[in-house]
Amino acid sequence: MSPSDGRRERLLQLTPALLLLAAVVAVPILRIVQLSLFRVELHQGVVARWAGLDQFLRLWQDGRWWITLGNTAFFTGSSVGLEMGLGVAFALLIHPRFRARGAVRALVLLPWALPTAVMSLAWGWIFNDSFGVINDLLGRLGLIRGPVAWLGQPGTAMLALVVADVWKNTPFVTLIVLAGLQGIPEQVLEAARVDGLAAWPRFRRVVLPLLAPSLLVALAFRGVQAYGAFDLPYVLTGGGPGGATETVSLYAYQNYFRYLDFGYGSAIVVQGVALATLLALAMMRLAGSRGRQGA
Amino acid sequence: MKQTVMAAWAAWALSTASCHPAAEVGARTTTLSLMLPPSERPFWEPIARRFERNHPGVRVDLVEGAQSTDLREDLYTSSLLARDPTFDLVYGDVTWTPKFAAAGWLLPLDDRLSEQERGHFLPAALAAGEYEGRLYRVPMRTDVGLLYFRRDLLQRAGRAPPETFEQLVATARALQSPPAVWGFVWQGKQYEGLICNYLEILRGHGGFWVDPATREVGLDHAEAVAALEFMVRCVREEPISPPGVTTYQEEESRRLFQDGRAVFLRNWPYAWSLAQSADSPIRDRVGVLPMMRIRDARAGGTLGGWGLGISAFSRHPDLAMAFIRDATSLEGQRDLCGPTGYAPARRDAYEDPVLLAANPFLTELERLHEHAVARPAVARYALASDILQRHLSAALAGSIDARRALSAAARETRAMLKGSRGLTRAPGSAR
Repeated sequence: MSPSDGRRERLLQLTPALLLLAAVVAVPILRIVQLSLFRVELHQGVVARWAGLDQFLRLWQDGRWWITLGNTAFFTGSSVGLEMGLGVAFALLIHPRFRARGAVRALVLLPWALPTAVMSLAWGWIFNDSFGVINDLLGRLGLIRGPVAWLGQPGTAMLALVVADVWKNTPFVTLIVLAGLQGIPEQVLEAARVDGLAAWPRFRRVVLPLLAPSLLVALAFRGVQAYGAFDLPYVLTGGGPGGATETVSLYAYQNYFRYLDFGYGSAIVVQGVALATLLALAMMRLAGSRGRQGA
Repeated sequence: MKQTVMAAWAAWALSTASCHPAAEVGARTTTLSLMLPPSERPFWEPIARRFERNHPGVRVDLVEGAQSTDLREDLYTSSLLARDPTFDLVYGDVTWTPKFAAAGWLLPLDDRLSEQERGHFLPAALAAGEYEGRLYRVPMRTDVGLLYFRRDLLQRAGRAPPETFEQLVATARALQSPPAVWGFVWQGKQYEGLICNYLEILRGHGGFWVDPATREVGLDHAEAVAALEFMVRCVREEPISPPGVTTYQEEESRRLFQDGRAVFLRNWPYAWSLAQSADSPIRDRVGVLPMMRIRDARAGGTLGGWGLGISAFSRHPDLAMAFIRDATSLEGQRDLCGPTGYAPARRDAYEDPVLLAANPFLTELERLHEHAVARPAVARYALASDILQRHLSAALAGSIDARRALSAAARETRAMLKGSRGLTRAPGSAR
């Protein structure tokens, strides 16, 4: 058997998987790109007309789109940042052996197992001004005088979104980092201890660099998910008040389903993916150069 | 050819392998199907069973959709976009008519419903089923925005029911003791309900949103600014509404009122039968008014309501029309509106002894439909509504003042109407 036979066989074996991927990933993506070049009208039918790049020009002049982009960036940055910090902290806490470790781990991971829509409804009641737990607690502690409408002010509504998202998704980061921690050989830590490294430098110089691959994975997953956040704002705030919590995905959905404007909805999606890709490339480059410096 | 791109895309993207019971179930049975909110299903059962008895070989399938109006709209949208014949009938909200009709998803009913038959319905309810001069939807039940008040509290304080916005504020302020009891609760969350609240306050100030005939936008006129300033005043300086009112939908506000924690409530007719239920703490202590007005203007509630249309993709349009005729008969109105307290769409229902016995409130309700405000029938109504919602909500949250919010809303609405107007005129766009 020649080496080229082997390659052909490998290709043949890959074909079903490649075809499946093409059908469920590549075709829809190309379709959306194509749709973003059309203008969609409602006139005794849903009518699409070639529009070139018009939808993108419209996008860049659309104040509402810029606001949703800003909201999404703020939401992604703050929630993912907090989740990474808290996730690492929790992972370090529940990594060592202690009594009831299993139970504590299960408890920490619980929020992640809840469907987002369900937990969003619950958070809606928690933040409710008249019946909510938060106002009740803060009132009892004497920290607020009257009831606060958390979801009724732009700043606090965004804060509520971030809190709910951090509550739900920190366990995901914890899980990944925990796996990373378990992959660090005990001997390495032992060696650092023997060399007399204190706890913080040991974490900073030994554990963190070894965790870097897990952290990157967690960051990438959480970053992409938060950037595409839909269910949480849809249920908790509906994008309000005054559009202050409307995310890019929510805006795309409104265009698709409520305004039946598929061309514009697709343009929003294509533009969003392009921006996210640029961001990811920049991050990878940054991580790459950091890695080389470290080596 | 390009016109069909969208349709082809839609069919391709969304027609998952859905089964068509009509085609498969035995050769003799025909199935008619419609989707409705789960809460209404029990009251549609007798209507469906009666139709089946009168039409042997026909089965009526009442599909429970999501309880939320927006989600049911999405479900219908997905199905119709895929030209899927699953739903023969569309049980839709007033705001769906222009969108579904403009998309070509509903059959025009002009030839199917005679002039005489149309005369049976409340004119406003029937008009809400029209788009660009054609009828697409027959009304089943109507809704109108009402102002509920605590008769007992007003009587005890020796105050007459208010008629103007100023009187409402004065009475609310005199009788409230926040945060235990608030003066006035309504729906201020950024959603369709906020539009309904604003529209009737706008009407009471003599203003308008979009003129149906000229398509003029009235949002930056002085009346529109005054209407929004009134709402802002309710929550901000010397508030008569709880701060959370800007996050409330119907139920949050109704619960406060029903718990005895509010003097005035803006809501739909359904709140009446709940206020009068056996375990209600405010039973027999509630009165109903039309929304307030300034001295020289007319008061009127926002018109809502539900009706039946025929899907353009139905395989049994004639049978579907027969069902609509049955459902919207007086008997159908008794089945749906008797036990629920919904407002019927037929005029004779308001004089029907059976319905009046079940719901004496009907006599008042018919009067409250006078001067009801309809929402503009534009194809992208959802976009028009979102534009206004966002700016109203921003003003209520205090991020922007009323005048600036509304001039931005007016500018965006005009740009949107210009776009869609050009599109109605576009040559060769007819299919």
